[in-house]
Formats: sequence, C-alpha cells, structure tokens
Amino acid sequence: MKNINRIFKLSFFMGLVLSFTSCDDYLDINVDPNNPTEAPISGLLVNTTLETAQNTFRLGDITSNYVQQLASPNEASTSDIMENVSHGNTWFNLYNVMTDLQDLIIKSEELGASHYTGSAQIMTALNLGMTVDAFGSVPYSEAFDFETITPAYDDDEVLYTEVIRLLNDGLFNLQEESTFLMGSDDFIYQGDVEKWIKFGNMLKARYLNHLSKTDAYDPTAILAAVEEGFESNDDDAQIIYFSERFNPWAQVAINNENLLLGGWISEHFIKALDGTTFDVFDPRLPLLVGETDDGEYIGVVNGAGRGDAAAAGARSTLTPEDFYSSPLSPLVIASYAEQKFIEAEAAFYVDNTRAYEAYLEGIRAHMRKVGVPSDEIQEYINSPGVSVGAADLELADIFRQKFIALFLHPEAWVDARRFDYQYEGFTPPVNLNPDLDGELIRRLGYPDSEISRNGRNVPDVSLTDPIFWDE
Amino acid sequence: MKRKVNFMVLFLILFQFTEILGQERVITGTVTDASSGMPLPGVNVIIEGTNEGTVTDLDGEYSLSVEEGETLVFSSIGFGTRRIVVAGQEVINVPLEVDLESLDEVIVTSFGIKQEKKALGYAVEEINAEAITETKQQNVVSALQGQVAGVQVTNSGGAPGQSARILIRGVNSLDPNADNQPLFVIDGVPISNSTIESSGTPRGLSNRAADINPNDIASMSILKGAAATALYGVRAANGAVIITTKSGRAGEVRVNINSSIGFEEVNRFPNFQEVYGQGFSGDYDADSFWPNWGPSMEEINAIDPDVVFHDIWRDALRTGVQYDNSINISGGSENVTFYGSLSNFDHEGVMPFSTWGRTTARLNGTAVMSDKFRFEGNISYTISGGDRVPHDRFMERMVYWAPNHDVLDYINPDGTMKTYGNTNPIYDARFSTFEDEVNRTTGNFKFIYEPWEWIDINYLIGTDYYTDSRTEITPGPLGIEGERPLSSTGFISETRIESRDINSNFYIQLNRDWTEKFTTTLLLGNDIFERNFGLLNSTGEDFVIPGLYDLSYVNQISTYQDLRKKRLVGLYGDLMINYDDMLFLNFTGRNDWTSTLPIGGNSFFYPSVNLSFVFTEAFEAPDYFTFGKFRASWAEVGKDTDPYLIGQTYTAPGIYPLRGQVGFTRFSRYGDPELKPEETTSIEVGTDLRFFENRLGIDFTWYKTNSRDQIIPVPVSDATGFSTFVTNAGEIENRGIELKLTGTPIRTEDFEWTIGFNVARNNNEIISIREGIDEIVLGSQFGYGGSSVTMKLIEGEAYGNLFGTSYERFGADEDALFLNEDLPIVIGPNGFPVINSEQLILGNVTPEWVGGLRNEFGYKDFNLSFLVDFRTGVEQYSQYDNFFSAFGIPEYTLNRNETIVFDGVLADGSPNTQEVFLGQGEGPDGRNYGAGFYRNTYRRVSENFIHDASYVKLRNITLGYNFAEGLLDGLPLRSARISLAANNIILYTPWDGFDPESFSAGAGGNAVGFTGLGYPGVKSYFFTVNLGF
Repeated sequence: MKNINRIFKLSFFMGLVLSFTSCDDYLDINVDPNNPTEAPISGLLVNTTLETAQNTFRLGDITSNYVQQLASPNEASTSDIMENVSHGNTWFNLYNVMTDLQDLIIKSEELGASHYTGSAQIMTALNLGMTVDAFGSVPYSEAFDFETITPAYDDDEVLYTEVIRLLNDGLFNLQEESTFLMGSDDFIYQGDVEKWIKFGNMLKARYLNHLSKTDAYDPTAILAAVEEGFESNDDDAQIIYFSERFNPWAQVAINNENLLLGGWISEHFIKALDGTTFDVFDPRLPLLVGETDDGEYIGVVNGAGRGDAAAAGARSTLTPEDFYSSPLSPLVIASYAEQKFIEAEAAFYVDNTRAYEAYLEGIRAHMRKVGVPSDEIQEYINSPGVSVGAADLELADIFRQKFIALFLHPEAWVDARRFDYQYEGFTPPVNLNPDLDGELIRRLGYPDSEISRNGRNVPDVSLTDPIFWDE
Repeated sequence: MKRKVNFMVLFLILFQFTEILGQERVITGTVTDASSGMPLPGVNVIIEGTNEGTVTDLDGEYSLSVEEGETLVFSSIGFGTRRIVVAGQEVINVPLEVDLESLDEVIVTSFGIKQEKKALGYAVEEINAEAITETKQQNVVSALQGQVAGVQVTNSGGAPGQSARILIRGVNSLDPNADNQPLFVIDGVPISNSTIESSGTPRGLSNRAADINPNDIASMSILKGAAATALYGVRAANGAVIITTKSGRAGEVRVNINSSIGFEEVNRFPNFQEVYGQGFSGDYDADSFWPNWGPSMEEINAIDPDVVFHDIWRDALRTGVQYDNSINISGGSENVTFYGSLSNFDHEGVMPFSTWGRTTARLNGTAVMSDKFRFEGNISYTISGGDRVPHDRFMERMVYWAPNHDVLDYINPDGTMKTYGNTNPIYDARFSTFEDEVNRTTGNFKFIYEPWEWIDINYLIGTDYYTDSRTEITPGPLGIEGERPLSSTGFISETRIESRDINSNFYIQLNRDWTEKFTTTLLLGNDIFERNFGLLNSTGEDFVIPGLYDLSYVNQISTYQDLRKKRLVGLYGDLMINYDDMLFLNFTGRNDWTSTLPIGGNSFFYPSVNLSFVFTEAFEAPDYFTFGKFRASWAEVGKDTDPYLIGQTYTAPGIYPLRGQVGFTRFSRYGDPELKPEETTSIEVGTDLRFFENRLGIDFTWYKTNSRDQIIPVPVSDATGFSTFVTNAGEIENRGIELKLTGTPIRTEDFEWTIGFNVARNNNEIISIREGIDEIVLGSQFGYGGSSVTMKLIEGEAYGNLFGTSYERFGADEDALFLNEDLPIVIGPNGFPVINSEQLILGNVTPEWVGGLRNEFGYKDFNLSFLVDFRTGVEQYSQYDNFFSAFGIPEYTLNRNETIVFDGVLADGSPNTQEVFLGQGEGPDGRNYGAGFYRNTYRRVSENFIHDASYVKLRNITLGYNFAEGLLDGLPLRSARISLAANNIILYTPWDGFDPESFSAGAGGNAVGFTGLGYPGVKSYFFTVNLGF
C-alpha cells in the first residue's frame, strides 16, 4: 500500500510537471504563420484598387445581359430572362472591399497618410454607390466592424448622401499633406493624386446624375463637378491587367474558346451597331466583339439561346483579341467618355450647345479609346443619325451613345433603368420571367447568403421594385 | 465461471474412476502451445459425446481412459479446438494453435490495452484478420463495410485507391467542414486518415488509411461511443478504430506468401436510349454539339448509311485489373520475436489511365530483456499513389460525346486530339494528368517495465510522418496547325504536403486483489500529441515551349503556402473495480490542454463511468443460457478545434504578387477570443446474451449522444466584415440502436455454418444553431436550369436534408418545408407542369437502416463465405440523371416525339386536358415547342433527380480450399490455400444509374448526398493463392 501510494504520487507528480510547468509555453504556439494580424496600408491599397476594378467587372457580368449587350447561349438563361438569381459572390466582394477600405481609412488616419485616406474614401463611395444601385437598401451603419452579427439595413436614399459625403471627405483628404505617398501600390493611378481628385469629382457627377428622376436633380451641381473632373482619356480610372493575371473579360473569352460558354453578344447590341437599328455601321463593332467563322456579326436573342447553332464559330462572342477582353486590356472603372455623356445629359436642361458638344466629344473620346482611326471617327460623326445638331439633340441620342461607350459596364444598367429601357430596338427577352408580370428588372434580389444569415433584417422586395432614384 | 468449470472437471474425474471397463486403456500425452512449444495447463480433454474427460496439469500433461475409436476433444480458451480419433496410440501429444477468433473474450481497447470483453460497460466490436482480407478490399475502411453494427462505410467511388468514408453513430458536428470520422490507431499510436481532395475537378484521392497493407493486420477493434474512447479524449470524439498488426511467435520461422489477381468492370450502367443520334430538334448534323437530340438512327442512316450508334459508355470504361503480392516472415525465440512483411499492390481502374499502387514494408519486433523489462517496436514504410483521372470531367465529356462517333478513336498520328468538335474524354484522361506519390513512415517504440507483479509502467512513443507530392499537368497547344488543344494556355501545378505527428504516451497500471472477489486496476497516464503540417503549392500557366511541362518555363506563376502546428497534452486516469468477475465498475477522467484554444481557457476535464453486470454469474440461469450481461455507461468528452481560429487576421490572396506588389485583405473568418471546448455527452445501455454454448448470441445497444457548444464557423452576413464567425454555437443529437446476432446453426464434425448479422439505425436532430441564424449550408451541386440541389442544416430537422426545385403542387401549404408528393401537379396554361423554384426538402441523405449479413460454411477443407450489406431510406441527388436528361441520353427520353396530356390540374383545380408535344421544334399541332419538354422543363426540376439510393449488395463471396495435410507431404509447404472471390456481383437498388454508392466530395467532406459525375462502382473477380512455409 505504501508502495502504491508512492508510485501514485510519483506518477501524478510527473504528470503535473509535464503538464503544468511547461504547459503554457509548450502550448503557446497558436499564432498563425500564414496570416499576419496587421496589414500594411500599402498592401490594402493594392488589393482595394484591384478589387474595385474587379467589382466593376462582377456587376457588369450580371447587368450586361439585362441591358442586352451580352446574351446567354442557353435558352431561358436566368440572367437573360431576369430571374431572381442569388449573387452571393458579388455581394461578398462588394462588402469585402468596403471592409478593407474601412481598415485602410482607420490605419491611414492613424499614420497621417491622408492621401491613402482620401483615395480609400473615394473607393468606398464608389463601391457603396454600386451596391446601392444594384440592391437598394443595404447594411452600412452597422457594417464592417462586427458590432453585431445581424447588421441592420440602411435606407438607400440615406446611403446616397453618404456616398456624396465620402466623396467630399476624400477630395478634402487628397488635398492635405500626407505622411506617406501612394506609388506603384496604387493600381489605378500609380500614385497620381491630381488624377484621384479628378476621379472623385467625376464620381460626384455620376452619382448626382443618377438622381435624374428625382426632385433632387441638380444639373448645375453636376456641371460644377464635371469642371473639376476628367480632362481626357488619359484621366480614365482603370486598371491595365497583368501578364500574371488576365483581364476577367479575357478569361470569359478564353473560357468560351474552351467551350465553357460565356461572353456571347446580344442581337440587340449587334443590331444597334451594324446598321440595322440605325442607318450607320459603327466602326467600333469589330473592335468590341468577334465575328463568326463566316466573317459576320450575328447575335443571340436574349432568352432564346443559341438554338441549334454550334458552340463555337456560329455567333459573335467576346474574343481574347477584342478591346475589352484581351488578356492585358484595361478594366474601365470610370471614363472621360462616360463623363462627357453625363455632362451632355446635365447640360441638356441648361445649355443645348454645351450638351451637343459634350455628346459629340463623348463619342469621339470612346472611339479614340477603343482605337478607331480618326477618319472613321469623323465619317461616323458625320452620319445624319449621329450629327443631329444641337437643336435636335434628344436625351435618346445621348443614351444611345452612352450605351455603347458603357459596353460591359454596370453603369449601363443604371442608365437603362433611368431611361426605362427605352432604347431603340430593345425588346423584352424571350421567356421573360413570368414573376415580373411583363415588367423589366429594376434591382437585384438580396443574395441567399444574406437571407440565410441575416434574414430578419433583409427588406421584402421584388425585382420590379425600383431603387429610390428610379421611382 | 471458472468455479463452475472446476466443479465440472472434478465431477468428470470422479466418474472416470467409477466406469472402468474391460476394453478401455489409458492414454497419456502433453498438450503444448503450437507456436511456442510451451506446455499448456488447464486444457479440457473430453471424450466426444460423453461427459467424461480431464484437464491437463501444470506441465500440460494428462491421462485418460478411452475406448478404441472414440474421439478426444482438446479445447482451451484462446486456442483452436482439436479432435483426434483414438486408433491404437498410447501417447497422444497435441499442439494447439492460437485461435484469434475465440479470443473475442479479450479485446483491444484504448492505448492497445487488452481487456476482458465482459468487463466493459460499452459496446466494442472486433474484426479479425480473415474477415478483413477476405473482403479483398485494399482500403481497410472499405473492409469494414457491413461488418460492424452502427458503422456506416461509404465508398466515394470505384477509382483505384479512391477514398472511403466511415461514420460511427452519425454526424456529431454542425460544422460543414468537420471531420466526423473516427480516430485511427495502429499498435497504440494514432495515425492520420485524412483525405485531401484535389482543389480543382474531383479526382478521387485516397484516405490515408489506404496506406495500410491489410495483410499486416491481426485484428481491428471498433470503439463506438464516448465511453469507449474516454481515455483517448478529444481526438476520438467520433469513435476509434484500433488496429493491431501481426507479430511473431516463438518457434520456427514461418513464411507466408500471398498472391492475388483481380479483374473488374462497371457493375451497373444506367438505362440509355440507343435510338436517337446526333443533332438538335430532330435534324441530323455530324458536327453538332448536341449528342442525342437528332433524328432516329433509321432516319440518320437514310442520310448516311455508314453512321452507327456506338455504345460509348461500355467502350470507354474498360476492364480493370489488380495484382496483389505479399510475403511475410515471422518467428522468434523465447526472448525475441519478429514479424516482417513486404507487399506490392497495383491497380488499373475501369476508367482509362486511372491507376493506383502501393508498396509497403513492415517490421514488428518484441524483446524480453529480463523478466521485468520488455520492449516492442514497429515500423512501416509505404509508398502509394497513382494517376488520378478527373472522373467528373471525364464523365461530363462522355455526356457531351455523340455516340455516332467512336470515342476510342481519340488521337491523331501527330499527337493532337481527334474529334468531330467536342473534347474527347479519353484524350483528356490521358494527357491531363494528376499524379500523387505518398511516402509514409509510421512507427513506435514501447517499453514495459514490471518491477512487481502488481504494477507495470509503460512508455509508448510513435510517429506518423508522410510527404505527399502531387503534380497536375494540363497541356497547352502543341503548336500544330488545326489542333483542338485541351487548354488555351495549359498549366502545371506542383503540390507538396508534409505532415508529421508525434505521440508520446506514458502510463502506469496498478493491480490490486483486495480480497479473493474484489480486485481493482488503476491506470494513470500522460499523453502528448503534436502535429506539424505544411502545404506548398506552385502553379504555372501558359507554357513557353509546347510539351515542356516545367514550372521554370511558364509565363504566369503563383504560389500558396499553408503551415499548421497543433499540440495537445492530456492527463488521464482509469479505475476498474471488479467484484467476483460479475460486476465491473469503471471510472475514467481526463484533462486536456490544447494549443488551439485561448490560453487560460484551454484546459478542460471530462469524466465517464460505465458498468458491466454479468447476471448469469449472479443468478441461476437455465442451462441453455450461457452468458448474459447488462451494460450501461455515461460519458462526457471535450473537444478542441483546429489551429489559428482565434481572432482576426489579414491574408494575401493567391494572385499576388502583381507588378511586384502584394495586396492584403481582411481574412473573412473571425474567431471568438472566448472560444471554449465543445462538450459531448453520451449515454449508452446494452446487453450481450449468449445461448447454447455460444451458438447463439444477441447483442443490443441503445445510445444517445448530444454535442453542445459546438465550435462551428457560423456563417454571418458579409456586411459584418467577416463571412464566418467561429464560435460556440448549436447542439446536435444522435439517438440510435444497434443489434448484432451471431449464430452457429450447424456444427458437425465436417460441416459448420456460422452467421453474423448486424443492423443499426441512427436518428439525428439539429436541436439548435444560434440566435439569428436560420440555416447552415453544407454544400450544393449544380443542376441545369436552376435545379441545383443544396444540403442545408435547419433547426429541428435531421442532418442531410436536400433542397431543390420541384413541380408546383395544387393546394400545397405555402409554409411547408417538405414537398408533398401526394398532391396533384399544377399544369400551366401552356400544358406543361409548372416549376416551383421555391427550395423545398426533397430527401435526406442519412440512411435509416444500415447493416450487414455474413455467412460462413465450412465443409472439411473447403469454405464458402459471403457478406451482404444494405442501407435503406437514403436519398441522393443524381447529377448524372440531370445531365443525361438535358442531353437526351436516358431511356425514358424515348418518348420525346410523343404527344401526351400531363397528369395534373390547372390553377383552378380542374383536370388538365391539354395535349402537348414532348419533342423539340414544331409539333404535329403546328405549335413551336422550342427545345422540348426535357430541356425546357424536366431538367430544371430537382425533384426529378433525387432518387432513393437504398441498396442491398453482395459485397463479397469467397470459395476457398485448404490443401489437406496429406496432399502437402513431400512439399516444403506447411499450408496451402487457393480461393476464388467475387465482389459486388449482385446489387439490388431502386436507383437508376451507376452504383448509387458514390459521392463527389470524397471522404473528407460531409456533402455525401451528391453523386456528382462520380467514378462508377465496379464488380470484381479475384483468384488468390496463399502458401505457408
């Protein structure tokens, strides 16, 4: 018994020694070697500039079918017929980049790196604006810092005032002294603060112009912002893609070549450019989309699918040689051409001549950007359907041209809704989602992830309920 | 029990002297242990058919009066029984062979400790070597299929080396990524059984237990409940599979050679149509993307008489072959024993170019240094791997391939793909390769010191170290004019995985006999575990030189690294109280300290208690009632988690660096800084009854397990700044019963028939998730036209519900979660059924009943055995059927040109009477039907593809012959056996398609309800020779 006791004590003691004295040190190894707990502001700027561009793509990938620039090769494809599709990945990425921007704002403010703060605020405004334009009311005031696991939704109209506030704050900070200067960590402007300031003003013009249907519409304010905005194509906010990382539209085109079908062109878009809907052949068409094996431009009717057409070579698609879809193509976030059309629209209510000039310059700027030779530009401009003259200029002319200049861009869908899809030659898709009762889509449905995780806060809306500026 | 035997023997001895008869004479002899040659005391020697007999003395000697022609029966627990006819001998010396099967009274439990089975207050089952090798399964997990009550084994498919998943008593975690499989332990040391699937298209990789050579296994114990695994603690919260490998015995050196060849083919094909050929809308086109929407072959042959309809599925899926060769040598002296083995296995699967192989070497040894000190050591080395064909992509391309073209004619003389347009699946399988090679060493040393009889001190240290090298190549263009490349750029991906586990276990066992009837055993120990895991992946795209597949010659390169380290320290105690071999009471306690939880909150204690009451010892029982035991247990187990889950971090996405810059993003997972261990409580009661001298056995268990405070990545709104919040949330309950019947209906001198039957049912319920969270998505799988099926967890429902689209039902409750199939289908104004895109529960992937039946017949030197296993009440999503219907492949699409009236009601409830054409394009009524019923409607309704996946399978049937001793005279052989076996030759299932036992996630995942385009199951035939020298 004595022995038992002794051994018992000994063994227990050994166990205790092993487990307690060295335990805390021995077990204190739970520090993730793969992921740091802090991120440099430079690294955050790199990723947020890239992901802001990527988000423009992600949304454009959804909306290009609604505006009938693209069409699905499959009949009654959910995107073409405007069904309620859960865009959880896009939602995630919009919030992911806004979260990173939030971190970037906080960290750069601590460091006095006001240029980083300013550009982060401008990008936050843009991503928030894109989110509201797509979904309407979304979480914001309780978002990003994990104060609750079920953040409340803020009213879309209130969020628009936040967009403008962020742009103003961003413009202010960009003009302050900064302890650290942006450089090659800025994938959009490589640290050119002047261009960031122009970009902020351009965005202000864009979001103020979205209010065209509301009482708050103020053309003068828009024109004032335009004055401080882009001055040429060189100012465009865009990312040139990388040999290590292809432009996402190029990836769509490459996948399509590998029979992962995508990037097929809508018949509506082709007809708007090939001289069918309007009397003139648009020289941009061969630069934007591919031709068939027979050298023709043939689109797919949205919602109808390709029928018995072959998977390759029978219809026009994006190809890796086109302006927006080659591996090293720029992904355009905001362009001088777009700004010119915004100017034209705002001036339309106050100054006809300015509106017409801006309209023509918008066409020219976009043609120059995609590489149309100057003589062809002039030839196109000279065609009667384009040179309508200042007196006869209509909003429809501006929307028609802006629709082309915004090829694959989510702003095209904002315009389509502001313009009530009244594009010439535009017809509702075949097999239109019967739940819409013959109307066309006005917003994206909230994603399943949000309904599943934050269901009690998600507003009950239908796809035909407009965003506040669309009412 | 022992006392009874003694009494009986005494009785027999008395009678021996009273019945002396004239013809009788006295026979003497010595009974020895055949392996060691040591004398065996206490062996029963009985004259068959009488009550007469004796027992051997301490020197193994006996003497007994017998009549000429009578048969002596020698038997002893733990040894095989021998019968010898008295024919003139005066001395009969009998060596008895150790019989593992009869050892079921002693069972290997935690840490390799052998315990008397009757002392255990929880259910444990043991499988012997023969039952494992006879299945002809190279994966020890598959070998358990149908053999153990409450253990559900599912093969993820028929690929060589493909993983199998094992689940004991259901899923205990709400975490979609949790490994719900048991801990695997070899010779006292836990090893990894993880399955690391390829990150791209599924390729059917192996679970790491497949690295074990089944021929090396002596026995496997299955520890099912928390009580059984209480000592292992956190790592065995899902049960444990305890493997004991073979060891040598003192005596002559023995050599065993085992050689086997097997052939296999697909065991079941779906029903395909063979009438309609290539094209769309009934128009023939030899270049069409559409394989089966063309006109009938009759019409095609009117256009082109040379076109034939190939049976591409049977053409492409070839006959597989496997070779298995192994040799083992064992032997030893009184002080040293050894067992060594070498084995090689090679397997070519039914899908072209799919292979897997394994080479193993093992050395086990024991040494007795003194009568107080012993040493044991085991080491094994395995190389395994193969070419993992992307079965999902292969089968998808088979779906697209037009049967009007020979699929086997896949390559041009210049090496480019031969095709009419679509990618040839065989060309892709051959050139888009994925090869893995695992090099693995497992081993352990054990020191046993017994200074006095009542104490032994054990120290066991072991390691499991492996590297897994994976190379995936997809070629780019070869640069030949007019080629159809597999990829426009091509890529090479090199992955290196390195994993090292170290286990150290120190324990002391103290035995004390307080009185003759009252004894105790106390176990105290310390257990330390460390895992180091590293993964490095480098992927290069866009080859500079066609055909030169090397990371140095690519235009784009990206690298990814994942390092993990985890430590666990445990302190445990186990007290067993034994009263008169009748009542056993066992208490355990364990405290764990883990590196994965916050320091300060990372220590947790959990106790268990179990009771075993052998009531046949306590009460008078009728003669036929041989043994009866009641058992009950209550146990708690704590559970830690994976490393690095706590707090907030940043990460650099894999796309960087770009232009020399590395971007950072906030990692989308946030870990609760207050994270605490999970808690599982389990209660279990059961009984073990045996009748007619063990010829009939019944074992019944009921259990209930509740896992609370689960550490799960709760999916949270992305707007919070994170997508998942790792915290303690939710509770899941499993309740079930297990029944096992064993019997020996016939036992004569020449013939014996034994039966083992087991069946189990597990009921699962998600008791709660977390305030504000309504559901957790486990996974989803693509279906055409919005028919994707999702597996979700919802409060109050069972694990594994499948959600998807259905046909709209008339009068359905709008809030109903489940589809009510009894209601009539609503037919739309166009005459076709209306699709309800609301996600409803269409089925559940957890089987209601699983079980198996094993029969063995022995006649003289022949034996025949078969194993049947079954599962019922299980539904799966057949992605195959979804794809097939979209492309006009199934037999049921033969009605495509018919005009019918759909059975159902209109929106107002009146019966539908509208005739509609099922085909494509313009119907006989002049109306344009577009892409037709199957593409417009059928393929978009998930309900059509969720089928009953129950089955009954003849898992294995084996006929063997052991060469009789006389036949081997003059040969240097000790034994010889040949056997023929067949696996899966009978499959009964309501499922239309390939073998329903298949899922695309692989054994590492929990989304088992999705077949994907899985590797088809196979049936196989084997011929085996075993020789002993």
